[in-house]
Amino acid sequence: MLSGLSLPMLAGLMTAGVLLDLLLGETRRWHPLVGFGRLASALERLLNRDSRRFLPGALAWSLAVLPISYAAYWLCGLAGAALHVFLLYLCLGLRSLRDHNQPIADALAMDDLDNARLLTARIVSRDTANADAASLAKASTESLLENGNDAVFGTLFWFAVAGGPGAVLFRLANTLDAMWGYRNERYDWFGCCAARIDDLLNYLPARLTALSYVVMGKTMADKKRAWQCWRSQAPSWNSPNAGPVMASGAGALGLALGGDAIYDGELERRPPLGAGRPAEARDIDRAWRLVAETAVLWLIWVALLAGLYYLRGKYLA
Amino acid sequence: MLEHGGNLRDAAREYGRPLADWIDLSTGINPHGYPVPASSASAWHRLPESNPALTAAACAYYHAPAMLPVAGTQAAIQALPRLRAPSCVVVAAPSYAEHAHHWDQHGHSLRHVPYAQLANAVDSCDVLVVCNPNNPTGAHIAPEVLLDWANRLAQRGGWLVVDEAFGDTQAQAGLGPHAGQPGLIVLRSVGKFFGLAGLRLGFVAAHPELLSKLADMLGPWTVSGPAQQVALAALTDARWQDAMRLRLRDEGERLRQLLASHGIASGGCALFQWWPEEDAEAFWRHMAQQGIWVRLFRHAAYGIRLGLPPNEDAWLQLEQALTTWKHL
Repeated sequence: MLSGLSLPMLAGLMTAGVLLDLLLGETRRWHPLVGFGRLASALERLLNRDSRRFLPGALAWSLAVLPISYAAYWLCGLAGAALHVFLLYLCLGLRSLRDHNQPIADALAMDDLDNARLLTARIVSRDTANADAASLAKASTESLLENGNDAVFGTLFWFAVAGGPGAVLFRLANTLDAMWGYRNERYDWFGCCAARIDDLLNYLPARLTALSYVVMGKTMADKKRAWQCWRSQAPSWNSPNAGPVMASGAGALGLALGGDAIYDGELERRPPLGAGRPAEARDIDRAWRLVAETAVLWLIWVALLAGLYYLRGKYLA
Repeated sequence: MLEHGGNLRDAAREYGRPLADWIDLSTGINPHGYPVPASSASAWHRLPESNPALTAAACAYYHAPAMLPVAGTQAAIQALPRLRAPSCVVVAAPSYAEHAHHWDQHGHSLRHVPYAQLANAVDSCDVLVVCNPNNPTGAHIAPEVLLDWANRLAQRGGWLVVDEAFGDTQAQAGLGPHAGQPGLIVLRSVGKFFGLAGLRLGFVAAHPELLSKLADMLGPWTVSGPAQQVALAALTDARWQDAMRLRLRDEGERLRQLLASHGIASGGCALFQWWPEEDAEAFWRHMAQQGIWVRLFRHAAYGIRLGLPPNEDAWLQLEQALTTWKHL
């Protein structure tokens, strides 16, 4: 791999990073992505000015992502395995997915709609002021499936490819897409570069994730539904990578997600994702479990690959 | 009397199954009705004079400049043909059958024109009646097209009557905002979207002059005091409306998908799905034997219409009934 780490080493480091994330969760005081967000905002204010904004956008992307990724690469050369694990821990968000979504499920279970609306508004961009319990459960479940890809599987994938610096580069690129990748007057050209790079980086991880959700379906019927939803619904979703992930995940869970939602007071028509009954509070936990168990599946896959690599080494020796 | 859905007592009698053991999918009425607040004593005891607050709430909700509350749009459907000298009337086909029935009874010359060919009929009639979205097919005509028709008809003193009974869950706005212009009459129903069919309340949006003629014909106290109170609460509850609109659009899509997964290509709107079932009578009987009452159209819209199941058990029962239908 690009990081120079052997497969058995990689498997060990990935497992350590995931365990560290589950144990410690998000750093409480100073989250590095918050600091990065400030840097990105400053760059955007500086460079997003005149009308020809594609090149300034590409320049801003490079200035935001490349120096930090290179620094991570350089430091890993000095500090080695421990730093790879630490960087992976900083980039992973499996535990924080639960920390942000479980309170929504709890509020819904206690019929505290007002609180559930506030908590949901923190993690999704759609309007939640008048949302009922079902659409809040749906919003949270969709967010878990989509962010499971960004905060867990994309990160693990790029860690496997390029170690700690790979995970850092992916996470920074993904954050820039979330900040700049909008189709509006301000970001259409400036954010174009960030959006396309994120599409590219996520292309393989998203499909591996969608495939994993098929594999993780509890019954054969769940697996079949996940596969069919992925094949039939993903093409009509407006994001090329979120589509497969969310359609397959919703299918595996047997839930009807997607569908119309209100953004900025306007009804936005969204195609259906998945099939079955509408989401309820308990499905938020089911969705997190799907993401967590899929992460374990990935660790097992890497460990198996490492085992094969080890055996092959023995055989050749 | 014409045949309608919602006739569960007929079903109970015919199949010997008690009323409570049926799943009624024979209407397009929202199964999750608005939670009705308790009525005040005065609502029962006083004469229900017209309440400007209710009219204002309806105008705000339907975005119409002027409206008249009526005892269900049925009251307006029966009265409108009596407000015109004998005219040449075109009613879209298939359509909600009460329209044609009542225009026919008051000396007008009536023509049925297929929904998709209405554009060709606009210039050869005085009154055009159309449901938007259409009941039961769910076909839909863009507002700008309807406005153009309304203008062409109005130039000759004609009317365009648009029945938007199922318009509340549509992504496109209704014609309410334009209903102040002469010749455009828009009918809105509180029963469907709010699930308050028992309330018997609808609204007519039209030019004020026509509204006052209609009010004279219908007489005083048409809408009961309790109905006025419930409707005022429902029409001003934006939170319930917003959440319900999304919920019904989801459930409508779920129904369409469920039918599609059983090889049935249906059309419709959030509140119902319809398809031209080849052997509609057998389907209707099969469903009735499973305790599910669906709407069979024997004539113009030959086929089946299904409303939304009220709960998960009903969804499951419908799915099972569809599965056994496929294997017959």
